Amino acid sequence: MKNELKAYASGFKITHLFMILGALLIGASIIAQAFLTVEIVNNVFVNKTDFEEVMPFLMSLLIVLLLRPFLSYLMGRAGVEMAATVKQRIRKALLDKFSREALLTSHQGQSGQKVSVLLDAVDEIDAYYSKYIPQVFKTAVIPIFILVAVSTQHLQTGLIMMVTAPFIPIFYIIIGIRTQKKSEEKLEQMTVFSGRFLDTIQGLTTLNLFRQSKKYRTIIKESSLNYRDATIEVLKVAFVSSLMLELISMLSIGIIALEIGLRLIVFNSMSFATAFFLLILAPEFYLSLKELGSAFHTGRGSMSAMKKVSEELGRESEEVTWGDRFIENRKTPPKIALKDVSYQYKDSGFSLSSLNITIAPYRQVAVIGRSGSGKSTLLHMIAGLLPPQQGEITVDHHSMTNLNEDSWFSQVSYISQHPYIFTGTIAENIRIGSKNASQSEIEDAAGKAGISAFVATLEQGYETIIGESGRGLSGGEKQRLALARAFLKKPNVILFDEPTTGLDLYTEKVLQSAMNSLSQNATIITVAHRLHTIRKADHIIVLDQGKMMAEGTDEALYESSELYREMVNVQTEEVTL
Amino acid sequence: MRELAFVWREMLTEKKDILLSILFGFIAGITAVALFAASGYLISKAALSLPVFALAILTAVVKFFGLARAVGRYFERIYSHRATFSILSNMRVSFYKKLEPVAASLTQKHRSGELLGRIVGDIDRLQHFYLRVFYPPIVFILIFLVTIWFTLFFSIKIASLMLLGVFLTGIIIPGYFAWRIRKKDQAVRALRGEFAADSAEFFNGYRDLKIMRETAKRKEELEAKSSATLKAESKESKAEVFHQAVNSFISLFVTWCVIVVGAYLVTTGELDGVFLAMLVLISLTSFENAVPMAIVPAYLQDSMTASKRLSDVQAVTSNNIKQTIKLPEEKPFSLLAKNVTFTYPGEERRALKHVSVHIPVGGKTAIVGPSGSGKSTLLQLFLKFYESGGLEVNGESTQTLSQEQIWSETNVVLQQNHFFSGSIRDNLKLAGETLTDEHLTNILAIVQLHHLSLDYEVHEKGANLSGGEQQRLAIARALLKGKRVWLLDEPTSSVDLLTERLIFNYLFDRAKEDTLLLVSHRLNNLEKMDQIIVMDSGEVVESGTYNELMSRKGYFYHMREIEKSVLV
Repeated sequence: MKNELKAYASGFKITHLFMILGALLIGASIIAQAFLTVEIVNNVFVNKTDFEEVMPFLMSLLIVLLLRPFLSYLMGRAGVEMAATVKQRIRKALLDKFSREALLTSHQGQSGQKVSVLLDAVDEIDAYYSKYIPQVFKTAVIPIFILVAVSTQHLQTGLIMMVTAPFIPIFYIIIGIRTQKKSEEKLEQMTVFSGRFLDTIQGLTTLNLFRQSKKYRTIIKESSLNYRDATIEVLKVAFVSSLMLELISMLSIGIIALEIGLRLIVFNSMSFATAFFLLILAPEFYLSLKELGSAFHTGRGSMSAMKKVSEELGRESEEVTWGDRFIENRKTPPKIALKDVSYQYKDSGFSLSSLNITIAPYRQVAVIGRSGSGKSTLLHMIAGLLPPQQGEITVDHHSMTNLNEDSWFSQVSYISQHPYIFTGTIAENIRIGSKNASQSEIEDAAGKAGISAFVATLEQGYETIIGESGRGLSGGEKQRLALARAFLKKPNVILFDEPTTGLDLYTEKVLQSAMNSLSQNATIITVAHRLHTIRKADHIIVLDQGKMMAEGTDEALYESSELYREMVNVQTEEVTL
Repeated sequence: MRELAFVWREMLTEKKDILLSILFGFIAGITAVALFAASGYLISKAALSLPVFALAILTAVVKFFGLARAVGRYFERIYSHRATFSILSNMRVSFYKKLEPVAASLTQKHRSGELLGRIVGDIDRLQHFYLRVFYPPIVFILIFLVTIWFTLFFSIKIASLMLLGVFLTGIIIPGYFAWRIRKKDQAVRALRGEFAADSAEFFNGYRDLKIMRETAKRKEELEAKSSATLKAESKESKAEVFHQAVNSFISLFVTWCVIVVGAYLVTTGELDGVFLAMLVLISLTSFENAVPMAIVPAYLQDSMTASKRLSDVQAVTSNNIKQTIKLPEEKPFSLLAKNVTFTYPGEERRALKHVSVHIPVGGKTAIVGPSGSGKSTLLQLFLKFYESGGLEVNGESTQTLSQEQIWSETNVVLQQNHFFSGSIRDNLKLAGETLTDEHLTNILAIVQLHHLSLDYEVHEKGANLSGGEQQRLAIARALLKGKRVWLLDEPTSSVDLLTERLIFNYLFDRAKEDTLLLVSHRLNNLEKMDQIIVMDSGEVVESGTYNELMSRKGYFYHMREIEKSVLV
């Protein structure tokens, strides 16, 4: 997984070079800062020089002090920019993938999950580029710089650092990883816990109705306090480990201080300047080692987010293949034929098998069958939203896979049971898919679909905002809006998923007459639920468990198909129950 | 700061842990300063030659400070995290209390899952308030006060320099950046919200976009929005990086000034040179404590936004509730709507227009109509999920009754009924702790759930129960509650007709003397109702008994005709 984050970072050679340079300069400025500070104090304190003599050192120190935050700022900026570029690249890759996919189920849960990958997971990747990478460069360079500087001044101190330094990473590896795992588990538990809190809140109405909400209040309090205590127990382990790290670095600094003191006083083999220099640099050395540890922790969160992203990118998905053949004849509907078409869902095991269907132009086809018989899948395949896994669909004898995608969709309308309303005005929602339509054409289509009276009652008329963040529409109004879209588009193939119930009488009436008038210029394939739609159709396809059981007209099927008779009769019985 | 009132109140109940974490944070910080002061003094003294025993004492002191610092840090972490989690728990409980009266209207509205999820997320985000915003500045200031007091013994000038540094790094600069972030933050959030909403629309409307040849265009728009959002966000991050750099420069600059002034004072003899190294080291280490101050503004902004959104969820309480009015217990009562017109909060469209319905004591009324006709709204108003005038329960206006009074005297089945993770028994026992297993099993049989055992584990939100099973379980719960007024909102929409009939037969028998209001989108099994109200677009279009309506051949008759012809 880590490699993938690195792979995205690999395109930034210049940024990397810049960061190496920056880290080198920061390292140098730390040394220079220590050196100059020592020189100044040593001159005025030990050598008793005049103030004027240390002025050059003071000025140099000021420049060095300015340099360090400035370089950190530049490196941070570069990291932020790198993160933004990578994030946009990943989002683009995700969007490319999503928009090629055959049919994203409009299932709510799934689209929520996709939004969360696109937004939150991609955001979590940020820290890897904006914090982790700059820190890695710094940590790779700075301790070595300090070590070299210290060793040139006093080899023994350098040796002490070299011996004690590995204890810090070793400690991280031994204790850190174990507690990290535990604290990650805790983090998961926390998500579960806050999920349970959410569950209780969502059930609050039910709890209220049964007067149980006070009891649950206590439960929430108790369980969240229990959770607190359990978490503290785990955190204690993590805190002890950082206590140990702190002690190691303190102990090391102590050893260095003792060594310096002994040499200063007992052996008189060290100058004040050297001692002061070492004392300033020793903590810097251990600090930068400890910082790598915390940067590592930051990088870890990004890795699990990257895992989510690459899972989404790597997930197998179906794509509908298209060609470049344009449909020449746009006046009359095409002849659509399915040859040995099969489709199988991977997870549910349900399959549509070996369908052979021919649909002549201007036909009104009704597809019927019990729920789960494969009606919607069939409609999606004819629409070009799902690719057949076997067999082929032809449009005027040309395989659908050779057609130009745009050319095909420009003559198809799909009216679903729950048409999706986009955030925007009513006019925009009708115009969608027919970009060049004029206002009068829109109003004409709205009139045919029976929504002009409704629009007239609105203060802003066709400019009223509807959709998620706008005015709500009833089921019937949505259905009529979808009809208006079809009237405007003037398609010659209409795929219609007939609503079952819940429509108002007016919409029912409009729907019938609208389908009649649309059928003048188009082939209509309906997943039918109403007897009159079925009886009116000139071609009925009966599906059962993914197989075509019979086809023909109402009369013929009533004669020949037992299944058809059964479906129609059971219907009448059930209703009169 | 007013936005933070909510978190503030909950925080102050944890005084002990707060004080302890501040104390240990102070110990950890001040010992670090002491440690370096002592070692600076040590080597300076050593340069002037020193007896070995003094050196031994000093190194012992240095070791002690080192140990104290590590231990102090350890306890600081423990107590600050303990405080954080306690505060989190307090906030959850208090928010739960606040939500109790408004939960119904929140959960009934669409997209409420998202709203509640956001609330829970906001509470979780507020855990940073104490840990990153509240106590670090207090510790920072305390350490400096002591350090500056100590410095005063050596040089007033250096002490005032450090005071100025504290003022800049601790107050002025974080304050300035907090103010700047605040201005930009809203714009960034708005951009991000737009990108999120558009992404959701892209996925939800994918099929329509594909057919309408809009996918490519929408994809490009999304890319552009993402890039605009990222640009704004990275501008914000760069400002943060800049802020950190400025803060660290100022603290280094103050140290530089300390060196300049210190060196000058040593040359003039005003300051003993032996203290110079010590003062420089004090300045360097004490400003290390200013580093966490740089992240305060960002977390403060985050906490304020979260806290503000939480306080926007207003607890609606009516003032004119007369606690003296009691609904009759164990006796049915009447329901009445008089010319009710109602609009959902935040919407323009009227959900109900001049609706009048009277359900006498013991009456059985069904409300039918297409989706969006307002039939459920009326039922929700009787339950006081929303405030509205014109409704009476037992002859009393619902505005003078509390929600609890109405809820406790009615058996309610809603369209969305909640089930908690736990056994079937647990979920049924919500209706009464003392119910026996025998009783519960009987009820399960009545609602045609013979196949479920009382020990069957229900997953969160009843995810492992089918829609029909959930509805029947909700009916069972209502039956167990045993009150005398029934308010049922499409209780059997996912149950097959035969089972529905069996359940209704039992229900009508049981509720013979009771008042019953049934909202139904199906027109079957309504023959026994003594009144059917037909609604369309928020208006009552027809009413009467089943037979009356059928022979009138009006709206109801035609809907019934269509229903008869629908093949499910």
